[in-house]
Amino acid sequence: MADPLRALLALLCCLALLTVPAAAAPLDRARFAADLCGDGAAQVRGAEGLVQAGGDLPADDLAFAGGLLGALAERRLSCPADGALLLDRPDAPEGHDAFTGAVRPAAAARAPILGLRQRAAVETARGTVALLTGPDPAARAAGLAVVERRIATVPAAVLDRARDAETDAGLKATITGLAQAAALSSPDPARRRAAIAAVAASPSGTAQARLAALKNDPAYAADPAFRTALDTGLATVSRAVAIGDGLAVVYNGLSFASILFMAAAGLAIIFGLMGVINLAQGEFIMLGAYATYGVQEAFRRLAPGLLDLYLLAAIPVAFGAVALVGIGVEALILRHLYRRPLMSLLATWAVSLFLVNLVRVTVGTQNLQFVMPAYVSGGVPLYADFVMTWNRLFAIAFAAATLVLTLLILRRTPLGLDIRAVTQNRDMAACLGLPTRRIDRLAFGLGSGLAGLAGVALCPIYSVNPGMGSGFIVDSFMVVVLGGVGSLIGTLVAALGVGGANVLIEPISGAVAAKVIVLVGIILFLQRRPEGLFAVRRRR
Amino acid sequence: MTALVVDALTVAFGRFTALDAVSLAVDPGEVRAVIGPNGAGKTTLLDVISGITKPVSGRVMLGDRIDLTKRSEVEIARAGVRRKFQKPSVFPALTVRENLEIGCGPALPARDRPDRIASVLGEIGLGPRAEVPAGRLAHGEKQWLEIGMVLAAEPALLLLDEPVAGLSDAETAQTAALIRSLRRPDRAILVIEHDMGFVEAIADRVTVLHEGRTLYEGSMAGARAEPRVIEVFLGR
Amino acid sequence: MSGAVQTALAAPAGPARRAVRDPLVAGLVGLCLAAAAGLLVAPPAPYLVNALGQLAASAILAVSLDLVWGYLGILSLGHGLFFAIGGYVCAMHLLAHGVAVTGVLPDFVQFMGWKSLPAYWVGLDHAPYALVLALALAGLVAFVFGLASFRSRVNGVYFSIISQALVYVAMLLMYRNDTGLGGNNGMTGFPLLFGWPMGSPGVVTGLAVAALLTLAAILAGTRLLVGTAIGRRMLACRDDETRLRTLGYSTTRLKLGIWCLSAMIAALAGILYVPQVGIINPRVLAPDLSIEIAVWVAIGGLGRLGGAVIGAILVNGLKFWLSAAMPEAWPFILSGLVLLVVLVLPNGLLDLVGWRPRPTWLRGAR
Repeated sequence: MADPLRALLALLCCLALLTVPAAAAPLDRARFAADLCGDGAAQVRGAEGLVQAGGDLPADDLAFAGGLLGALAERRLSCPADGALLLDRPDAPEGHDAFTGAVRPAAAARAPILGLRQRAAVETARGTVALLTGPDPAARAAGLAVVERRIATVPAAVLDRARDAETDAGLKATITGLAQAAALSSPDPARRRAAIAAVAASPSGTAQARLAALKNDPAYAADPAFRTALDTGLATVSRAVAIGDGLAVVYNGLSFASILFMAAAGLAIIFGLMGVINLAQGEFIMLGAYATYGVQEAFRRLAPGLLDLYLLAAIPVAFGAVALVGIGVEALILRHLYRRPLMSLLATWAVSLFLVNLVRVTVGTQNLQFVMPAYVSGGVPLYADFVMTWNRLFAIAFAAATLVLTLLILRRTPLGLDIRAVTQNRDMAACLGLPTRRIDRLAFGLGSGLAGLAGVALCPIYSVNPGMGSGFIVDSFMVVVLGGVGSLIGTLVAALGVGGANVLIEPISGAVAAKVIVLVGIILFLQRRPEGLFAVRRRR
Repeated sequence: MTALVVDALTVAFGRFTALDAVSLAVDPGEVRAVIGPNGAGKTTLLDVISGITKPVSGRVMLGDRIDLTKRSEVEIARAGVRRKFQKPSVFPALTVRENLEIGCGPALPARDRPDRIASVLGEIGLGPRAEVPAGRLAHGEKQWLEIGMVLAAEPALLLLDEPVAGLSDAETAQTAALIRSLRRPDRAILVIEHDMGFVEAIADRVTVLHEGRTLYEGSMAGARAEPRVIEVFLGR
Repeated sequence: MSGAVQTALAAPAGPARRAVRDPLVAGLVGLCLAAAAGLLVAPPAPYLVNALGQLAASAILAVSLDLVWGYLGILSLGHGLFFAIGGYVCAMHLLAHGVAVTGVLPDFVQFMGWKSLPAYWVGLDHAPYALVLALALAGLVAFVFGLASFRSRVNGVYFSIISQALVYVAMLLMYRNDTGLGGNNGMTGFPLLFGWPMGSPGVVTGLAVAALLTLAAILAGTRLLVGTAIGRRMLACRDDETRLRTLGYSTTRLKLGIWCLSAMIAALAGILYVPQVGIINPRVLAPDLSIEIAVWVAIGGLGRLGGAVIGAILVNGLKFWLSAAMPEAWPFILSGLVLLVVLVLPNGLLDLVGWRPRPTWLRGAR
């Protein structure tokens, strides 16, 4: 016990001796230049000394050292009897004096060679300088990458200084993580325990893995204080990660349910009204996504500066375009099939086949590329690994807005009143003089338009291609079946149920099992309530 | 023993109460008419008796033994209850004879069917039309065919939902005669009808329903004299 | 069209004679028998024989769907499931038979790194057991799904889309590699049929003849069935289920029985189809394929068993020809054909030759 401690103390003293003088005084530039011009051992001494002192050196010293190190690495360093020359290119006849900047001939000077053994130390020193003084995040990130390779030789002070000075959030987080990792393997027990606590304070899956790896560390068996600290830290992190993952599942389920709701709401309105299931609803969603793409391309041509707004501009365009397609389909085809609901299944399937192949032939089968505006890219890390991504939040907010608007349309507008009247009793509504055919057409347009909106919401999340409609259309049928006829709230609850069940079961037993369980669940549910969740009991 | 007892029957669709604690009893051999304005719950009453609608509470006893509210349509039909629907419900793709064959019910052995069908064809007067698809029959013929279908099983309880709706006067008179000829000591007949003359011609007693409640029960003459009945129904 | 055909397609006659007097079905049965005899006496080029056999298998599938859709009003958009059950069990038999004779394991088994066929393949090298298993499995799946649906009165469009979900889920299931049924790539490379090499002209002819004879038998059998009292109850159930129930008939039992029968016929079609095309994979479970079966029936003439056969042969024949000649155009032609039939010829192409039943007769099947 005593021997290792003493050794540690000795090591600490050495470190202190190395760093403290440097902190007290600025860089001894002449000595540094001489070291780099010296033999291999001197070069390593100079480079490592700089790294050790790096946390406290003034910026101009770092810049001076960086120039010399760069010249050495690139064979542009020339060493006359006194001082050092920086050449513009290797073997140039003259160069600038490193101290005075004056031009001097390099003919009589010796060009020091950087050996393979010394290169690592020199590169680390260059990386340190770049990390601390790089002009832009890219340069600093490159420096960090070099430093990371030999992180054990870099003192904490360098990383701390880099972290404190860093302005780029991403890079700052990376530096922090690296500093913690370095501290976790530090020889100082107190520092290690502090690092464990620090890691545990910002829990994530990486932090969990990092701490779990420490269980194999000899200190875990040997040092009770270390073990306690690690166990506590690990427990905290594990719990937080579990909660974060749970939140992520709920969040993903919510966004999936939002898409399902938007796909199914239109279906449910149409089904409630006309008893028709539109098998082309998936293709209407696809059309909505393609309309969004069209708006993006129009913005790119006409108003590139406003490109970021295309997603918002696409909302009315997609709704209108797909609603028009729906009205066309209703007027040309479905109008003739109201007394033949099973045939309308075949007819709408034919429409879907037609639309998929039309898009395939005219636009192509490849996935469309979308520009992601700032408001749908990235996200804000909320808790542990749970990042609230903007694209999914966009879909959720979109679905909520759609729900509210659709409810308003159905409850507060004359069209909504007509739709509800015809849904509940078509013959009676017709007797009262309602133009049921016109209402059918408008409602079909509304339902189709909702599919178009689902297409807009999908663009930032899923890939967009002609066949995308078939992907979740079966799920949205199940939502309609489960939700019952003519109840938007039923559709919402069913969408949350089906979406949530899919996302909840998926991590446990796989995507396929999730679908099987949902289907079996729905069939079992229909045993109890054949008319769905919220259907009102009606007379035959 | 009574043929049919409806005991405190309540039916609700959502928040709407279609029948509110309705009770009535029909004797064997009786022809009972249930009358009342639209929405009084008449068809709902038949829906419950024939098992299509399940009530919220109450019982429907067939012959003191079987609670029909606990049985499916199929079991109720097999217990001897037959119903003629308001809208003529015949099978359009089948001929008159085939419709009647199905009307005989699953219990009747195949060899007894031709005789039964022949006698029913005679009763409803569709003998010459026996091989015509029911989809091609006139409205009145469909009404009679359906009455024939429900008769073919020789039901103990016959439910008739507006059997003369949409018929001409002559056809109505014919139908009234037909129904009178159906009376048997072991058969109860429950008729729903708007046509007062028709009801008077066939019914022993009437039950007047209004807004899901029983308003009056007794003779047709008594109903005509009852002020409340006059107010809601006869005097409108 | 000649006057004879006009008469042949005229409206059905009375009940007693209806069972036998269906000249369309009689003609098709005769045609099948004649074609089978022709193949045996003077077989044409093997690819033609094979195409004929495949068409016959498709026609059986169409008949199975018309039985429930045209006569019972149940539109299944998941009949591909029963077809696939027959097909998969048949493929398993062929591979197990191959292993029993040659001792070489199929590719996908080797791919999964297994040393032998999975345990539940035991006995499948015996053809009678495989046949019974295929039919029983199809019947069982149909029974469970049908019981759950019919008992709770799920019907119409509801039933259609739930059956579609069923076949979709089955497809996802079969795409998995760990099912022991070939996963994504399915099963292929069948070496032998009853000990004979698979591609030999005798086997090709034998399969086509078997398919044609089965089609003839199924067509005649189902036609006889729909002419009986049960058939009349099916039509009654299709057009007014509640009326039939209130006359004392258990429609659940009726529908369940016919539904299971239909599933088993579809499985039989799968059994005959797979050895002729030499492969089965999860794509037969794609919802689109199941809808296509309904399209054959609708195009040929819903509610006429002969119409289903004609529709299946017509659409599949067109598909063979056009998807090779102009693959881009085929989906457009198919969708146009469906819309044409649904909107203009509601009784299918039989409308064109003058057979026009009153639309109300098919009320429950639309």
